[in-house]
Amino acid sequence: MDLATGLLHTAVLAGGVPALAALGEVLTERVGVINLGVEGLMALGAVTAVVTVVATLNPWLGLLAALGLGFAIGLVFALVTVQVRANQVLCGLALTLLGSGLAAAIGKPYSGTPVPALFGPLPLPYLSRIPVLGQALFSQNILVYVIYGMLPAGLHYLLFRTRHGLNLRAVGENPAAADAAGIPVQRIRFCYVAVGAALAAGSGAYLTLCFVPSWSEGVVAGRGWIAVALVIFAGYRPINAVLGALLFGVTTALGFLGQARNWPIAAPLLSMLPYLATLVLLIVPVAASPSLRRLMAAPAALGLGYFRDER
Amino acid sequence: MTYRFQRSATPPGSRVIAARGIAVVLALLTAGAVLRLTGAAPVALAREVITDTFGSSFALQDLALLVSPLILTGLSVSVALRVGAWNIGAEGQFNAGAVAATGVGLYVPGPPLVVLGLMLVAGIGGGILWVAGPALARAYAGVSELISTLLLNFVAGLLVYWLATGPWLEPSGRAIGTTARIVPEIPALWDEVHWGLAAAVIIAVSVSMLLTFTRWGYEIRLCGSNLQAAHYAGMPVRRHLITVMLLSGAIAGTAGMFEVAGTVHHLQGGISNNFGYLGIMVAVLARRSMLGVLAGALFMAVLLNSGIILSTRGVDVSTVLAVTGLVLLYTAIGDEIAHYRFVRAPEPAAARINEMSST
Repeated sequence: MDLATGLLHTAVLAGGVPALAALGEVLTERVGVINLGVEGLMALGAVTAVVTVVATLNPWLGLLAALGLGFAIGLVFALVTVQVRANQVLCGLALTLLGSGLAAAIGKPYSGTPVPALFGPLPLPYLSRIPVLGQALFSQNILVYVIYGMLPAGLHYLLFRTRHGLNLRAVGENPAAADAAGIPVQRIRFCYVAVGAALAAGSGAYLTLCFVPSWSEGVVAGRGWIAVALVIFAGYRPINAVLGALLFGVTTALGFLGQARNWPIAAPLLSMLPYLATLVLLIVPVAASPSLRRLMAAPAALGLGYFRDER
Repeated sequence: MTYRFQRSATPPGSRVIAARGIAVVLALLTAGAVLRLTGAAPVALAREVITDTFGSSFALQDLALLVSPLILTGLSVSVALRVGAWNIGAEGQFNAGAVAATGVGLYVPGPPLVVLGLMLVAGIGGGILWVAGPALARAYAGVSELISTLLLNFVAGLLVYWLATGPWLEPSGRAIGTTARIVPEIPALWDEVHWGLAAAVIIAVSVSMLLTFTRWGYEIRLCGSNLQAAHYAGMPVRRHLITVMLLSGAIAGTAGMFEVAGTVHHLQGGISNNFGYLGIMVAVLARRSMLGVLAGALFMAVLLNSGIILSTRGVDVSTVLAVTGLVLLYTAIGDEIAHYRFVRAPEPAAARINEMSST
């Protein structure tokens, strides 16, 4: 592999982590719930995947276990924020602390041991033979194709081309109007909060089963927060979110490249790149163009509990 | 007659405090139950923790050393919340303050007291610098300060790690991953406990007075509770937002300076000890009361200290983080439930109509 191919290959692989979590968060925020617990969910998903794969030697079971756990936690999160209508910011922060703490405690015996079975590369026929791009894009593991291809396309179609997607967005923009139109506001919120949480935990599994093939405390390293930031950058659109994640992946890959090639920049400084790049992505577009800010605005009811009595 | 829950827009304070008390107790009980399931003996552990936390003068000093940074980080988050901004970046501003103060402490020559003063100025400056970007981005471009301050935490953590293991590494090579000892230090107040504790309390009280008794404080509080109203009343909303966020960063930076100049005397990786994140807890528990910050900081210090004690008894340190999360979660739920009253209500109209039509 030459330099450009290797860089792009790593970028795609690295970007997959926040991409999957960001796709989940897009769904959650589109129905008007902000889940700031992504970081904690990713940690729990990552450790669940490792524990499961060590026991069963099957990466699919690891992924499934993480998705299932995420879904279950998502239901609890929905119960607390959608049904009880407790403050979403606080509950999200609580979930981050709880998840990161629990994952560290559970993962201690597994710390540093390599995961015995991973998602291996699955070169696509014909496509993988394209020079440069073939190696970089089409010789990845199967989850990469799902995260960059099927999932964003499917979610884009769901959100913007179906009646259900319209209902879903209505719930996030104006739940009172949606309720009056007969859309089951609370049920839709429950459903997509749980799905979003499942994808966040799934991205944790992707992290330990595809990207960094072992668990250690702090392995998530803020990628959950980067996913939350990418959702804002993406203007709550799935395809943009994945493109943003790819940009994040490029900065991560640049950091790796710098370390591998002994660039005269210290490793910790290179590790700052992804956070700074995300910050730039977050600030520059909206600072440059106020009309873009309106176009990419958050769902109007984001973060607000819906009380039918106060309609 | 039927019974039903009735929601009031503003719950009475006593009810909220009761809900919070119950939330904290429930969180500790849940943690105890989980510990029990993993084979530990929670009651015996709790007894040990209590005697080890309050039992001796040394223990109380350790506690006091944890309280002062928590007061300041809690105050930092709390002040920003008063103007309606989430400063989740107290952790990063703490680190930035610690870095700036260390730089002055290590490399600026002069009489110790003068250098100490300069370190304080540098610490405050570091904290302000670290929050300035997010503050301006929020004020002028509407960028969520919650996310931007948080992302900078990771950058600050890496900066501390880089300096302590690279350019500022102890020159003799005897120590790994830490700078040389910073000579100027904050004088002691009570054995190990330095004047930082007293200063933190004084800062908390003065900020509280500023917010309660001045016109500026009134405008800040109005901006925090209703931005639109404040704007239409002709208040400089944007300027208030920026000033308060900078003040919030300055307070967190001060905490970082106190930590390197008073407690640790070195700069090393992980010096912030999650104080910034625990400060969010302190601010939430304090519930808009600056003096509640003192109580919240004491509670979180006890919790943090318990974790340190428990880690010598085979319980993982990260359990504390999880318990903190539980307390936060239950508090959030408790706050919402405090809005409800169980009242006797006449039967719903629909039922009455049904009755009428059936007779």
